[in-house]
Parts: sequence; C-alpha cells; structure tokens
Amino acid sequence: MAAFSFTRCLVRSYFCVKCVDHVQTRLQTTTRMFCVSTSRSTQFTDTEVQDILTKITGLDLKKVFQPIRQQLTPPKYKLMTDTELEEAVRKAEEQAKHLLKMPPVLPERKPINDVLSEDQMLEGMNTAKYVFTDINFNVPHRERFIVVREPSGTLRKATWNERDRIIQVYFPKEGRKITPPPIFKEENLRVVFEQDRHEDVLNQCVVQFEPDSAEFKNVLMLTYEDIEKHGKYDLLRSTRFFGGFAWHLVNGRRIDGLLVDMLQRDLMQDAVRLVRLFNLIHPQSESAQHAQRQQATDLNLLKIYAQYESNRAGFIELAVQTYEQTKAPSSF
Amino acid sequence: MAAVTRLCCVLRLSFEGVGTLRALGGAAHFSHLARHSAPQYAPVTAALQQNRHSSFFNKLTADELWRGVLAESGAGARKGRGKRTKRKVKKDLNRGQNLGEGRAGYLWPGLNSPVYRDGSIQKPSQRGEAEQKEVTAALERQRDEWDKRRKTKIKRERGWTGFSWGGISLGPPDPGPNGETYEDFDSRVIEVKSVFNVTAKESRKRSISALVAVGNGNGAAGKFRCIYAINDAKNRAMHYLYYIERYNNHTIYHDIESKFKRTTLRMKKQNKGYGLRCHRAVITLCKLIGIEDMYAKVDGSVNLLNITRALFHGLANQETHQNLADKKQLNVVEFRAEQGALPIVVAQPQLGARKEPEVEDDVPNTRLHWADVKASQGVKRSVWAGVKRTIW
Repeated sequence: MAAFSFTRCLVRSYFCVKCVDHVQTRLQTTTRMFCVSTSRSTQFTDTEVQDILTKITGLDLKKVFQPIRQQLTPPKYKLMTDTELEEAVRKAEEQAKHLLKMPPVLPERKPINDVLSEDQMLEGMNTAKYVFTDINFNVPHRERFIVVREPSGTLRKATWNERDRIIQVYFPKEGRKITPPPIFKEENLRVVFEQDRHEDVLNQCVVQFEPDSAEFKNVLMLTYEDIEKHGKYDLLRSTRFFGGFAWHLVNGRRIDGLLVDMLQRDLMQDAVRLVRLFNLIHPQSESAQHAQRQQATDLNLLKIYAQYESNRAGFIELAVQTYEQTKAPSSF
Repeated sequence: MAAVTRLCCVLRLSFEGVGTLRALGGAAHFSHLARHSAPQYAPVTAALQQNRHSSFFNKLTADELWRGVLAESGAGARKGRGKRTKRKVKKDLNRGQNLGEGRAGYLWPGLNSPVYRDGSIQKPSQRGEAEQKEVTAALERQRDEWDKRRKTKIKRERGWTGFSWGGISLGPPDPGPNGETYEDFDSRVIEVKSVFNVTAKESRKRSISALVAVGNGNGAAGKFRCIYAINDAKNRAMHYLYYIERYNNHTIYHDIESKFKRTTLRMKKQNKGYGLRCHRAVITLCKLIGIEDMYAKVDGSVNLLNITRALFHGLANQETHQNLADKKQLNVVEFRAEQGALPIVVAQPQLGARKEPEVEDDVPNTRLHWADVKASQGVKRSVWAGVKRTIW
C-alpha cells in the first residue's frame, strides 16, 4: 500500500519534470495499466465474462489434481464398469470446478484516515502506540473496530496494514503470517519466476493478502508481467488464476501474445472466446464495432481483430487460414 | 692326527674355552676348535658329551618338519578337539636366500657375482665387513616386512552383524560356459551354517551349508542352497531365477500373505518413500529383486530357508493389475489420497468391461490380523512400536 502510493508519487513527480502536453496521455495509459475497469459497463463478476473465462481456463484434470505435498499413503483400488468410471470422472470434474474458483478482482481499498479524537492532554504519557481491538466472535472482520492511540494523544482508526496484522494475531488464518514472508520482495520473486513457480507464488499470495490490498495487486501484476514477457501462458492454464490473468491482459489491450499461444496450441475456440471477451470489454474499439456491424462469428471475429487491432496480424491470419484448410469446415 | 680329530668330533671335552654343545651347525666349529686345542691338552679326565654334525633337522625336508610342528592331522585335531587359539602358521624359511650368500660373505662368481668382469674371469673373493653387515641387515629388514604383511588382517565386510555371514555381498556370479557375463547381478549370502552329517567312518562329518541369493535389482532374482561351497551356491543360483513383477518398479501390486511350512510372510504394499521395513533377510532379498518400499511381517517360524521360499512363492504368484482386469472383466481404477478424487485407470480388460458392477458388501470380507489392528489403534504396548527411524 505504501509502496504503491510511493510509486504513484514518483510517477507524478516524473511527470512534473517532463513537458505538460505529454502528461495527459501518460496519465491515461497509466490508469489503463493500473486500475481495474470500474467505470466500464462490464465487470469481472458478469455471468458472461465469468463463463468465457472459465471456458478458456480449461479443465485438465491431471493438472488440477496434481499431487500435493503431504504425507503419502498407499493408493486404493476399485474395480469399475465403464459407466461407473464415467461417473467417477464426472465427480472429479465437479470437484475440479470447485478448486478452479477464481480469486476475486476488486478495486483497490481506499486508505483509512479517520481520526476519532485529539487529546492534547495525553501527549507524552505513553511511549508506544496502543491498539484497541474488538474481539467479539460474531463480528465480520471488515466491520471490526480497531483503533490506535498514538503517543501524541490522537485516537485514530487503524490503517489497513495494521488491521490485517491485528486480525491475524487474534484470529489466525492457516497459512497466513503476521509479517509477509520475504518471497514477495521483488528480487526474490525474480528468482522464483526463473524456476517457473508462478502458481506457487500466487497461491501463497492469495493466502497471505486480502484480495483488495495493494500488495496483493502488486504481486499479481508482477507475476502477470513476467508471464506475459516470457510467454509462459501454459503455466497458469487449468489453474484458478487464468481468469484473472486473462482479465488483466484484456483490460490492458495486450491479448496478442496469449492469442498467438492459443493458436499455436490449436485452441481455436479459446481464441475466439478471448476475442469476444475483448469486444465485450472494449465496445468502442474498432474490432468490436466492425464485428457488431457485420454480426461476425467464430473465425471471422479473429480475422476482424487481426485486421484492426492486433500487432501480429500476419501470424493470426495465417493460423486461421491453415485451420480452415486442414480441418473440415464443420460448425463449432 | 686323524684319530685325534675323529675322537674330538664324537666327544666333547668339557672345559673352558669350548662352549656347550649346540645342535645347529655347531659341529664344524667345534671340530675346528678341537683341532687347535687337542695338541695342548691331554684328554680324557673331563666328562664325555655327544657331539653330532648332523641331526634330524638336516635329514628331513622342510615340509616334513613343518608337518611335525603344526600337527594338523593328529588325533587332537580330528573331531573338533583342537584348541582354537593356538594355531601355528607355516613359514617358508628359505625365502630370500640366494645360492652363494652366507654369513662369511664370500663372493662366488657365477652365484653371487658376475663371472666375467672387464673381460677376465673373476676369482672367489670376500666382501668387506661393513658391506656384509649391510647385506645381512637388508635381508633382515626384508624378512620383517614380509612377516608384517602376512600378519596384517584383511578386514572382512560386515554383514547383518559383526560375525555373521548374512547380508555379505559375494560380487557378481562367475561367467557362464558360453561366455555370458552376469555383471549386473549381485549375490548376497543369506545364511551360512555348519551342518553335521553322521557317517560310518568318522562319527560326525562337518560341512558348511550356504544359502545364497542373486539378483539384478530389476525383477530377476534367484536363490540356491548348497552344502559344499559358497561360490558354488552363487553360481548355481543363476540357474534358478524368478522374474518378479513390480508396480512402478518400487513396490508389489497388492498385499500378499504367503505361507510355507510353518512360516507365514505377510507383505503389504506401500507408497514411494516408505522404505523396506521388514526382516533383515527380506530386506536383502528385496534389494536384490528391486523392491524399494514394502512392509513385511514374519509370523511363525523364522527359519531363513522357509522365509526365502515363502517370499519367492508369494511374489511369483502376484496378480498384476492387467491380470485382475482380465479375470474380473472390469476396469482397475486407482485413487490416490494426494491427488484428490481423480480416478486413474491403471488397467483395462482386453475384451472390454462387463456391464454388471462388482458387488460389494457393506462390511468388507477381509480377514484382519489382531497385531495390525492393535498397531493401527495405538494399543500395542511395545517399546519398538512407534519408534522413528531415518534409515531403513
């Protein structure tokens, strides 16, 4: 949270040095990069958006049910008929859907600057801050009262960071540490990304931070940037983070890399869905307008997108053509 | 003169100047001395003692002498009556001797020194005193070194315990008659015991019985028991190999209970990383077969021969997943705890699965063992019950 505001200040000061006419466009691009679409019509939680995101995440059972680190036991065997086997696969898929539930994408929480009272009399009485917490069991954590009495005498509401720490002390959550572990520092994240362990980092991040906190968004952004830079899209496929990742890319209008990766793996339907999502989120873009005009479907959507918006138009068109030639022109 | 010398050879005049008679090599010296002293003294008031030039030491060969000293085939040695600690070792005393080398240090051309030197034939000569001392000292040192080397004990590899032969590796079996080598096979002794057979001639005849197992760590293993020689057992074991199927190359397919005579061997399938928690003989055999994770319990008699027989019979009669699928005409599906509810199809019947599902009772029809139940419920009162080991 502090880091985020610091970088924002840095960016702003940098702008002040540069020419004034560039500032507006720069600000626009930064807002597009950092903030999530709250003013647009489509939200992350829309059913259509969620439907598309779940479909492009895929459902590879082997990857979803990867062996986790735990005490091993000898396996159990069952003799099943074909119908029973299908039933078991269906049950596994249901559990997989439950495991693939996406972590929420929320707007960043606003800092708390509420001062409840200023008592000059108490100045100098204590040398440390005192934190008063309401530890009633049936109060939701977001509505808990946590106030801080400073040595200067002011009684203020605790900041988000302090709130998270205090709630973890009194109501510890499994896996969460009071101080964030050093893996979330930038230099350590770089090491972890080199080992292709993005999924582990994201799992730990979801456990450690609240979904609307600045650190959460920061770590998520760093991970997404690294994956986008190196093209390691397959690492997150069939995990619960793919939806958030695709949403981030679409908001930033940078779906080319992901599209190319999908086309290389012959995931035509996923590519089409991705373009449809793009058009949903950016209805003012050229490809969306052309698509609406022509009422385009399936491969035509891809072609329109390639024509108007994409930087890698050649590759996309070539891929679409080869698909049309090699596969029989059957309906999707 | 001749009579005097002969007299002095046989008799020894006991007065100062002549030392006591010593058997080895003394005769020549004394005759020499006696020759000098004979003309001075008039004989024969002193006591007569026998003096010999040669004794039985000179008349017998080295082998015969040693046989007498060692007494290997005496009545005491037979039937196990010999005392264990005293055991003399035969030593070759002629080692290091050269023809021509002697205490006086004469150089004989052709024997000690070269015949020709600078073109001329050499004459016999003598070494200097210092040189002779050096030569004798060098010979002494060499003999000491040989003795020391003979006395150093070669450390025998330790088996299951310090003295036992069980678990000791004998290396790969010898190559076969057609030239095939068995380099990837390793052989281990399971049991060596001395076995007595009563014969008509000698009452008890002792032989050594050895049970040796060979294996290549990849499913091929065999065992053989031989009465005469361990090496023989090792080579013959190659003729009686079993091929044992393993699941994922680290464990058995299912729990096995095999019984042979009065020995029951209960084997349980375990996950990877469990280790071999079994009887030490079973551990040795499993390592040869290539099984890495298993639990086995030996009930009843702990006779090693019977344990090995039970193990091999049980493992050879395992039912692989494919066999089970074909027998029951159903798919064999594996569920692992660390992978959640994912069904992994391990074997499918060749002719396709049948339509009727397997009938399962509410209470599974398995026979439980009281020891296992106690262990799983924590009721077992044994100091070794919950012990944590790092090496298995």
